[in-house]
Amino acid sequence: MEIVRVPEVHEFSPEDQKFLEAGKAWFKIDFVPKMGRVLRVIPEFGRTYGRASRRAMTDGALSRAQKELIAATVSAINVCEY
Amino acid sequence: MIWYEIAYVAGVTHALNAVADGLRLPLDFSPSSRLPVLPLIEPGDAPPEVKATFDEIMTFYAMDRAPAVFRWMARDAGFFHNYWAATREAFTDRKLPRLMKEILALAASLTAKSDYGVDFHLREVRRLGLSERGLMEAIEVVQCFNTVTKIADALQLQPDFDPRPGSR
Repeated sequence: MEIVRVPEVHEFSPEDQKFLEAGKAWFKIDFVPKMGRVLRVIPEFGRTYGRASRRAMTDGALSRAQKELIAATVSAINVCEY
Repeated sequence: MIWYEIAYVAGVTHALNAVADGLRLPLDFSPSSRLPVLPLIEPGDAPPEVKATFDEIMTFYAMDRAPAVFRWMARDAGFFHNYWAATREAFTDRKLPRLMKEILALAASLTAKSDYGVDFHLREVRRLGLSERGLMEAIEVVQCFNTVTKIADALQLQPDFDPRPGSR
């Protein structure tokens, strides 16, 4: 059971709504993940974290697909259901 | 198949790290003051069949001495032979190449804060050709996903979707 109410997209500022909507294309999904919304509850945190994360996950010496495998491994070791 | 390969690498890595750190086995590639709480087999004292497996392990990892975790394990030859064979298969090139599997093992070791695993798999990813840029990128991903997994856990977020193929 979540211990917070996860805000809906329309509750965020236009700037943050734009970023959250862009996340659909990034993840190739038709909804805005809860994590994206949770991170932006404090925009000063979410915007900077979002930029760092996007940079970290972009194709580079490692491909984005390889990076997603690393992410899956971290989630497995942390036993993170989300 | 790829998810099984990831799961096998994560499982074997986590288990080897747990034993190596739990028994305070010395690191294989960095200076270490750790003293094992249980004795390891010295290669010169090993029976021939164990020595043959040590040789195979040293070839697999391009080492001149078998890793400490296997020198511990070799005290029970039957278990050792089979667990090593499983480890070798988990890290063999299949859908995922061996370098990618070593990167995942490093990610698992960092996440579990395993001194033994970080030392071992850091050496392996470099030996197998990962650039310093690639290493930095891998560690950044580890850092980012340790961030979000802990945030998700702290807020007890429920999954957005069923991750099985064909599900939303």
